[in-house]
Amino acid sequence: MGGSHDIDGADSAFVFEGNWKDFARIALPNLLLTIVTLGIYRFWATARERQYLWSRTRFVDEHLEWSGTGKELFLGFLIVLVLFGVPYFGVTFIAQALIARGHEAIGTALGVLAFASIFYLGGVARFRGLRYRLSRTRWRGIRGGSDHNGFVFGLSYMWKNIVGWLPAGLLIPWSMTSLWNERWNKMSFGPFAFETSAEPGGVFARFLLFYLAPFVLFVGGVIMAGMGMLAGYGVGGEDGVAIGGFLGFLGLILFFYLGLGLIAVAFYAKFYREVVGATRWRELHFTFEASTIDWIKLLVIDAVLVVFTFGIGLIFLSYRHWKFFMTHLEAGGEILLDELTQSQTSTAKHGEGLLDAFDMGAI
Amino acid sequence: MESPFKTEAQWYDGTSAVRHSGELTWDGGETFELTSPTARDGFAASDLVFGEARSRTVIYRRESTPDFRLILPADIPPGLAARLPAAHTYGAWVDRLGLGKAAGIFAVVSIAAVALFMTAPDWLGPRIPTSWERNIGDAMVGDFGGRICHTPAGDAALAKLLEKVDPEEEKVRAGVANMEMVNAVALPGGQVLLFDGLVQQAESAEELAGVLAHEVGHVRERHVMTALLRQFGLSILLAGADSGVTNSVFGLASMGYSRDAEREADDYARARMAQSNVSPLGAAGFFERMADEYGDTEDSNALVGWLASHPSSGERAKAYRDAARKGAEYPPVLTEDEFKALKTMCEQDPEVEEFEFF
Ligand SMILES: [Zn+2]
Repeated sequence: MGGSHDIDGADSAFVFEGNWKDFARIALPNLLLTIVTLGIYRFWATARERQYLWSRTRFVDEHLEWSGTGKELFLGFLIVLVLFGVPYFGVTFIAQALIARGHEAIGTALGVLAFASIFYLGGVARFRGLRYRLSRTRWRGIRGGSDHNGFVFGLSYMWKNIVGWLPAGLLIPWSMTSLWNERWNKMSFGPFAFETSAEPGGVFARFLLFYLAPFVLFVGGVIMAGMGMLAGYGVGGEDGVAIGGFLGFLGLILFFYLGLGLIAVAFYAKFYREVVGATRWRELHFTFEASTIDWIKLLVIDAVLVVFTFGIGLIFLSYRHWKFFMTHLEAGGEILLDELTQSQTSTAKHGEGLLDAFDMGAI
Repeated sequence: MESPFKTEAQWYDGTSAVRHSGELTWDGGETFELTSPTARDGFAASDLVFGEARSRTVIYRRESTPDFRLILPADIPPGLAARLPAAHTYGAWVDRLGLGKAAGIFAVVSIAAVALFMTAPDWLGPRIPTSWERNIGDAMVGDFGGRICHTPAGDAALAKLLEKVDPEEEKVRAGVANMEMVNAVALPGGQVLLFDGLVQQAESAEELAGVLAHEVGHVRERHVMTALLRQFGLSILLAGADSGVTNSVFGLASMGYSRDAEREADDYARARMAQSNVSPLGAAGFFERMADEYGDTEDSNALVGWLASHPSSGERAKAYRDAARKGAEYPPVLTEDEFKALKTMCEQDPEVEEFEFF
């Protein structure tokens, strides 16, 4: 009973079938156990959460499966601690001792070296975080992975980020898309590699908003402050001007931060549409349809949820974000089930890298 | 034997994505068998392990074939269900104990661990051998980068001062550091530093004797190791936040002692001064001046590290003033020339390094 799947536009290829009440039955005991174990349980909590989220996600006609375990995440954390945390601690200690002895230059250089190695490992961790997630994600018993270990990617991550920032940040869209391509092109699912060819041109216009908007916002803000002063004068003469001006100034600051936040959201919305849209796997192409408004809704409701539950809402954010990604992720094309055989990539026996140890997002 | 236990089943063999739909049969013994129109598979019952529970199905895996997946309906005939591996939810330990009991045990263990961690500096610090502390101190600051002032007359004056306030055979290593701050520190390894800024603003040798005695008190009462352990514990908790070279010598200088430790060091200082017949009025004068200059609140000014972590200056001035014997005549602790030699020590040392980093 092999055959193939044609995925057309009628039904979404990715369907999320979970509900928040079921998730709460996982997340609340997780929270309790995480608190009473001083955070150690969080590795098991993460595994349990992912198991739920993955298993309630259907791709075409079969659910996903998360086969990672809490124990391996915990092991990964310990390995990171011993291999990187302890040497890092040692190097900073030596740097301080050198400075205390009057070798400021060498001491500072060592400190910079420690910082650079963290930068490098951050890149490796991004690669490994994704590799780990793919290797623990199964569909019809088949998993993903990568034959690369991410050490080369760590170097690319360093130099591309530096080059991206250097010309006043103008090349950031290039560094981001280029790193996305480099990372995903080395990943595979079953026997087939992912292929991506995201172009920075598609997101560059949005990125320019970061440069233009501050001026627009500033002028708008000054007008607001001026209006505040006028209104203040109308209400209470000279004192009113001061109070009105102050309120106007406050408005300006708020306006500015909110404005920059909005631009960031608009940019990321476009960025994800571009890079996911440029990602293919065999005969499948992917699209990600979340608009800026969708993102804003997600983030505003996140904030409301957290604030009005005095922080308990935090435990639902992973649920909300997963649902968001799955709702807006689409795939089209054809899968030949007979040729979809098991991945031959090697898998680590532990959670990989800092990302999963600290549970940062991998996408 | 007729197979009494049967259920519908779907499975993936782990080598291809093709799904098999058929039946799972248990022979009542040690073997499971899977049959579908196109495939057949059998394996030992003990090979099956629980994977996960979904809304209407349960997933099993095989120990020997980790990629294999068996999907059974959630409602399985009781006879067969008894032979299937038990589900697990939270993880082995919690499942065995039950959520409530496990949470309780974890909470007790955690509270004990936190209590141990929080109190460790207090009981562990004094038990760490002095020789270890000396090694740690040497590793951390060494000779302070040649920033300690030396002149023959100044060294002699400082040694005389130390003689009065440190009764031990093996004296602490005291020095005047070429730094302009009004400060004094006891560093790990029994090293006490008066900063030149403090020496410059001292109006009498008795003031310096008081401050020196206080810092020696920290060393002799083993406060330094306790504070170091506390700092170390904090930096573990704040790991990452406390990165780079920011936490350098000044991290040590601002390393806080507890209020009790400060009282102990003050008590030690007064006892030594009484023993050596050194007037405590100098120290009292010093604290009164500090109270005038920086205010009398307990941590009024974070920049004045030495004062910040100490009890209120006014209160301390009074304690030192009260320690003076009524009508007693104290001989001067240093001669005019010796005091002057201390004051000009940094100025006249041609080889001392500037502290230029901050
Ligand atoms: Zn003190």
